[in-house]
Amino acid sequence: MAEIVLKGLGHSYLSDPKSDADYALKPVDLVWADGKTYALLGPSGCGKTTMLNIISGLLTPSDGQLFFDGKDMTHAGTAKRNIAQVFQFPVIYTTKTVRQNLAFPLECRNWDRSKIKDRVAHIADLLDLDDILNEPARSLSADQKQLISLGRGLVRDDVSAVLLDEPLTVIDPQMKFGLRRRLREINRATGITMILVTHDQSEAMSFADEVVVMKDGRVQQAGPPEQLFARPQNEFVGYFIGSPPLNLFSAEQRNADLHCPSLDISVEVPADARDRSTKFGVRPEHIKMSKDLADNSPHATVQAVENLGIERVFTLRTSVDETLKVKSRHHKTVSPGDKVGLFVDDKDLLIFSDGTLVCH
Amino acid sequence: MTRTYNTIKYLFLLAWSIFVVFPFLWALSTSFKDANAVTSGARYLPWVEFEPSLQGWQSLFASGSRGINIITPFFNSATVTLLASVISLVLGTLAAYGLSRYKFKLGFIKNADITFFFISQRIMPPIVLAIPFFLMLKEIRALDTIAGLVIVYIALLLPIAVWVMIDFFASIPKELDEMAMIDGCTPIGAFFRVVLPNSLAGLVVAGMFCLIFGWNDFFFAFTLTFTETQLLPVAIVSLNSSVTPWWSLSAFALISVTPLALVAIVVERFMSRGSLAGAFR
Ligand SMILES: Nc1ncnc2c1ncn2[C@@H]1O[C@H](COP(=O)(O)OP(=O)(O)O)[C@@H](O)[C@H]1O
Ligand SMILES: [Mg+2]
Repeated sequence: MAEIVLKGLGHSYLSDPKSDADYALKPVDLVWADGKTYALLGPSGCGKTTMLNIISGLLTPSDGQLFFDGKDMTHAGTAKRNIAQVFQFPVIYTTKTVRQNLAFPLECRNWDRSKIKDRVAHIADLLDLDDILNEPARSLSADQKQLISLGRGLVRDDVSAVLLDEPLTVIDPQMKFGLRRRLREINRATGITMILVTHDQSEAMSFADEVVVMKDGRVQQAGPPEQLFARPQNEFVGYFIGSPPLNLFSAEQRNADLHCPSLDISVEVPADARDRSTKFGVRPEHIKMSKDLADNSPHATVQAVENLGIERVFTLRTSVDETLKVKSRHHKTVSPGDKVGLFVDDKDLLIFSDGTLVCH
Repeated sequence: MTRTYNTIKYLFLLAWSIFVVFPFLWALSTSFKDANAVTSGARYLPWVEFEPSLQGWQSLFASGSRGINIITPFFNSATVTLLASVISLVLGTLAAYGLSRYKFKLGFIKNADITFFFISQRIMPPIVLAIPFFLMLKEIRALDTIAGLVIVYIALLLPIAVWVMIDFFASIPKELDEMAMIDGCTPIGAFFRVVLPNSLAGLVVAGMFCLIFGWNDFFFAFTLTFTETQLLPVAIVSLNSSVTPWWSLSAFALISVTPLALVAIVVERFMSRGSLAGAFR
């Protein structure tokens, strides 16, 4: 258990990186607080695995430093860091039984036999592996193998952090949900920091105290899920977090006013948006529809309705031919072809200037 | 359809078996013939077509001028081959693991170049190596000794071991070693505790190659020894005289092929039990 601090930490797989583009992970300052659950979210190839491998010690960073509780660990060996890591695809020791697989990390660290036995039994119970403990690990199915990988990650109760690199991709959806919950329970019970890499934003939001969003080797934003949802720092975060993604609308600057033709709203031009390309962003959850139209209120035509069970997602086209999505629990009778009024609260309006959020 | 297919399959297997087994049967029957039976046309059935004789076999375990004694050369060969194979396997496996997992760089020389250097040792015609080996062994007074031959054979077998094992390690995902290191092993520990137990199949294949090439080598055994240390393939040459002793040569061929055949059978048993099938994921 440790606070993990990245200080100007970056990595390039090339021997002499010339430009930013040569970095798989661009230098970043970041703090992983002790005991929290984190999600590292971003499209594939954005450097998530690279970051985890640097933290666990499989990779020595080309730039910057790494601290565990203030101690410089940049060049420490894997064993010394005492990190648990689970890879995307199951890695099991095929020549060992399930029990031997689970006990291996403890044996490597010369734990007491009786203590090993207790921990293995505990983890086997936690992951429902009791019945297969004595079977050879190579005979198992892919998701059982991944459970063993997970078990080997969780079997040590004194680790600095557990790094989970998309471990749930091979596991079927139903079990996934339960496992995510159990991981959180373990975190609550033991206070072990957990970092879950994923490209599934709903997984990230439901698992983590804090979400770190990455793109192209750069950390875009880090914060609690609500914050990322309500105030995405840039268009990418807005687009990546939330389902359906953030609606973006064109904006026109008229003297001191910034006008949104689609929603017929005007706000004062924020200082740092003047004379730049600006856009409005509104969450699909924050747009209200009404069936009775006032003559001059903004409106749109329904193009499609998608029923998600409790909620519906409406695809609309506005009077200036912009497409938007609205997510709502109401309006069961609205169907394609209908004309609806739109209403957005001022406080839910986000303004992006050159792609970056500005305050207003 | 499947029936025709099966018939063809078995016919083919039968033809192939005859093709493989026939030389052995031929050698076996020849080893019990005498000069008359060998030279006077094709004869197959002992007692019916020819009178079996133990002359061929006896000449291999004789003393004095009646033939040679292959017992000492046999054990010499076994010692040299086993020692050289084991040492090559150990060194070759370590080298191959290093080459497959770490990046080396010395000026313009990189991993691929080092690997090629190993393999290039086998591309060279042996004759090129004979004189240097001779001079080097002479320098360290190892000509005509077991130790000298072991050194030379290691040089011959190491490339084979490295070659086979590099390929094999490349097929083991590096995540396996990484996982072991995360679990608390040192890099060396990861190799011995996790990678090596998973590499049994590769070790067996490399070991077989080493044994075969070591056991069958004639050229270096011939050029680097005189009288003190005779290996099996060299010993037999001294049997040759104006009349080729086919019966002795046949018996010799059977004796020299037996150890390899035994090893092959044991390994095959071992393999078919599935303990070598390397399924990693
Ligand atoms: N061993 C490597 N050598 C060279 N480039 C690599 C290596 N591993 C990853 N990369 C590159 O670094 C970038 C980030 O990769 P990675 O961290 O695996 O992304 P993610 O886990 O987010 O999918 C990718 O562009 C990838 O091609
Ligand atoms: Mg990855």
